[in-house]
Amino acid sequence: MMSTPNTSTSISSRTVSLLILLIMVIGSAQAQKLFRLEKDSVPMLRGFQVSFDLFGAGMLMLSDYGQYEGAFRLNLHDQWFPIVEIGYGKADHHGDQATGISYKTSAPYFRAGVDFNLLKLKHQSNRLYGGFRYAFTSYKVDLWRENYEDPVWKWDTGFGMSGEQCSQHWLEAVFGIDAKVFGPLHLGWSVRYKRRLFHNDGNIGKTWYVPGYGIWGDTRLGGTFNLIVDI
Amino acid sequence: MRSSLFRASGVGLFIILLLAVFAGCSTIDCPVQNLVYTKYYLKKGDLTPDTLNGDTLTIFTVRRDGTDSIVLNQGTEIASYNLPISYTSPEDVFYYVMEIDSVIYVDTVWIKKDNFPHFESVDCNAAYFHKITDIRYTTHLIDSIVINNPNVNYDVNTEHFHIYFK
Repeated sequence: MMSTPNTSTSISSRTVSLLILLIMVIGSAQAQKLFRLEKDSVPMLRGFQVSFDLFGAGMLMLSDYGQYEGAFRLNLHDQWFPIVEIGYGKADHHGDQATGISYKTSAPYFRAGVDFNLLKLKHQSNRLYGGFRYAFTSYKVDLWRENYEDPVWKWDTGFGMSGEQCSQHWLEAVFGIDAKVFGPLHLGWSVRYKRRLFHNDGNIGKTWYVPGYGIWGDTRLGGTFNLIVDI
Repeated sequence: MRSSLFRASGVGLFIILLLAVFAGCSTIDCPVQNLVYTKYYLKKGDLTPDTLNGDTLTIFTVRRDGTDSIVLNQGTEIASYNLPISYTSPEDVFYYVMEIDSVIYVDTVWIKKDNFPHFESVDCNAAYFHKITDIRYTTHLIDSIVINNPNVNYDVNTEHFHIYFK
């Protein structure tokens, strides 16, 4: 028997397509206006910024995972900011109170991307950013649980894996601010929405803490609190 | 300039509060079905489902300390049953006991397997998944056992073995 398309679904999908097309046309005109390089006497290369994430370091000190992370950002006309972030993520979760599982990993990671200054008046000390990152890490996981008894046969079986090779690629959408404190010193926040692209969890099933990404499956949001120095 | 700084900081504070709210809502994402066991389905010669009519089946295994552990207790009118699978032993042994016309029949079943530790999260219990590699059995009351699907994991819908009684 031939199936007939559902009329209401067909109409609504056409409406949605038209709306998306309209938004794209208007959006593209607005985007061109927004992202157009300002024509003024300010030079293209405006300097560099180096920054250090205090939030990740604080997490590492106060909890059993976190990261040290620094960034190098190029200032192009106070509008575009190509950026490279390099960090070292660590997790040492020892003997979970509920499950008894221990999880240990530590590895470097990097992110590369670009930020755009969203403020109308771009040539000032404070900035509002929107941007994206591509990120990658390759890491090894040690995982174990002591005293793991088989419930039927009563053998103490043990549970663990050592040096399981894992990797992950992901994207981040970034929104942040950068405010001048004094001299070359700035402080800034960033909020990130993360989406995993590809991953290799080795033979362990799933991974828990991914260096630079955080806890997989916990939340897709992340953030940094940056100490920034203009160069 | 100063008002711009305050405005930017205000936006930042709002974002951080938002982040704190979202980050506070962390979830423990463990599978609801987190038991690992094998499923046996009784079959007739023509592959249609079979049932133990009037017969009582008991299955036990032997623990580490040599004592018996009953894993199926006096099953009657059953068309399928579940049996546990050991975490790390290379081979599990089960003893099938059935009394027919006051005569007790006992069959032994040996199941060979590979074992793989499986991890979901530090919040979820550790588990072992398995791959059945071979099965042997005596044939006093069992006609044959066929491995239908060798992968033993959290999937409760898998028919691992088809068993044919005489």
